[in-house]
Amino acid sequence: MKNRIYWAIERTLLLLVSFVVLFPIFWMFLTSLKKPRDAYSITLNFQPTLENFATVFADPWNLGSMVLNSVIVAGVTVLIAVPCASLAAYSFSRFRVKGRKILFFLVLSTQFIPAVVIVLPFFLMFRSLGLLDTRIALIIVNLAIVTPFVIWMIKGFIDAIPVDSEEAALIDGASRLRVIRDIVLPMAAPGILTSSIFCFILTWNEFLFSLILTRRDAVTLPVGLVNFRTERGDLWELMSAAGVMITVPIFIMAILIQKHFTRGMTAGAIK
Amino acid sequence: MTEVRLVDVEKRYGAFLALPKQSLTIEEGEFLVLLGPSGCGKTTTMRMIAGLEDITSGDILIGDERVNDKPPKDRDIAMVFQNYGLYPHMTVAQNIGYPLKLRGMDRAKRNERVLEIAKKVELETLLKRRPSELSGGQRQRVALARAIVRTPKIFLMDEPLSNLDAKLRVTMRAELKHLHYELGVTTVYVTHDQMEAMTLASRIAVMREGRIVQLDTPKKIYSEPIDLFVAGFIGSPSMNLIEGAVENGFFVAKGVKIPVQLADRRDVVLGVRPEDLEIVKQEGAAITAPAYALELTGESTLLTVKDGATSICVRGPADLETKIDEVCYLAPQAGGRIHLFDKSTGTRIDA
Repeated sequence: MKNRIYWAIERTLLLLVSFVVLFPIFWMFLTSLKKPRDAYSITLNFQPTLENFATVFADPWNLGSMVLNSVIVAGVTVLIAVPCASLAAYSFSRFRVKGRKILFFLVLSTQFIPAVVIVLPFFLMFRSLGLLDTRIALIIVNLAIVTPFVIWMIKGFIDAIPVDSEEAALIDGASRLRVIRDIVLPMAAPGILTSSIFCFILTWNEFLFSLILTRRDAVTLPVGLVNFRTERGDLWELMSAAGVMITVPIFIMAILIQKHFTRGMTAGAIK
Repeated sequence: MTEVRLVDVEKRYGAFLALPKQSLTIEEGEFLVLLGPSGCGKTTTMRMIAGLEDITSGDILIGDERVNDKPPKDRDIAMVFQNYGLYPHMTVAQNIGYPLKLRGMDRAKRNERVLEIAKKVELETLLKRRPSELSGGQRQRVALARAIVRTPKIFLMDEPLSNLDAKLRVTMRAELKHLHYELGVTTVYVTHDQMEAMTLASRIAVMREGRIVQLDTPKKIYSEPIDLFVAGFIGSPSMNLIEGAVENGFFVAKGVKIPVQLADRRDVVLGVRPEDLEIVKQEGAAITAPAYALELTGESTLLTVKDGATSICVRGPADLETKIDEVCYLAPQAGGRIHLFDKSTGTRIDA
């Protein structure tokens, strides 16, 4: 009896939370399919259309170039951050170097600084370098933000890999780099993949730096959304369509993570 | 076949002295067992030979070559780990073939060799499986196969049998012994199980708190333990250790009077193994005490007598029948060994 009540309360709370979280997203999807005149109505009974998607990719909105910017910035950031972070994480996890703890603390401490504090120095820096409104500037900034986080995340995954297999490989005749390639990377792959996707999502969603450091050429999707607040009012149906464009890739990736995350690659290494 | 020498090797972790300065020579083709309770430094010693652990001072020589600064891969060794250290993302065949792959052997030759070794350890039907799909005993055999797939200068084995069940352990023990006979490779084997040490070793190094206490053949260690620690550690059931004194040519303690050839002395510990005692009639009794427990092991019965704090175990015939609390009479067997130790230092007193 008690269990059933507990179960009922649990389910109700879960449903409530899911509703609060998911309903706005659901509504955004609906709105993206509405004609401008239906955008403000609460009805579910409307004629769906894909017109909004065509509009946002056309002049004057040109969402396509923003999508490209976002893809390049997030993609390149992942491609640089993850290999570097993997090697750093391996070192932090396995080598007993003097000052290791302090170093690791310093890496993490970069995450304690609020973005608003450093956004202006970044702006001045990139202005004097002539890199304002470039993708390179965004990639550099995102690397600085994301790399420490990814190091920390991948270190967790590598810590969980038993050292025995690595030592066995060292004795079987592998060099340290070979051990990383043949043993550590395959075993840490699900973790590294998860971290990569996380890294991609963080960069993809990054707003503040992009807002301050870009103007026209290097504008990314989240900043692009702001464009739909015009003197003619908020164009909700277009904003929703752009929102869907931002959300869908993340959705797909989240599903991918889940599949890989549950597969325990380290099973069977010991005993 | 190679000799391994540790010369004045010392190991410290910061200020903590793990292994005090000592030397050890492992002879060519020998099966040396490092035996001791957990934390005695036996695994550290082995890991230093493997190159997985740096040494603080001294030299390690494999053959005539000083290997202090050589990484494990250049020492030409093979090792079996306690937890096997298999590669979970590789199949059994890939696991066994990995050392060969690293040495650049081509695929066809490699597969041939892997199959040959797999047959030797009866894994040939499991080559396509992954370690997670194997039983403990099978994983153990994969680890073993990976070690013997090439012929290294030395084998290192770190408690390889400790994760197996009792029955499998005995089978694998015999297989290891035969394998050593067949390959003749110098082997260092770490264990805390004195039975494993006794059955496998050409020589045993008994270790305690980082120090090698006694290094000798199993027979010698069994029959002439150098001190109380070794005496108590080797043998199952373990040696009876009785505290008492020597008076007028007899070792005396409560209910115990055994003739010994030693001048009068206080604070002596007498050691006698259960199989060196026998149950006698009242006239010849050297030990008199009431029966405390009776354990039938199959081929014999272990009788424990207890008088006050001293309990003494004797191995008697399988058909032995005694009631608990009934007074028993024991005496050393003719030709049975009696050991005397100094109580305060623990060292052996030779008559």
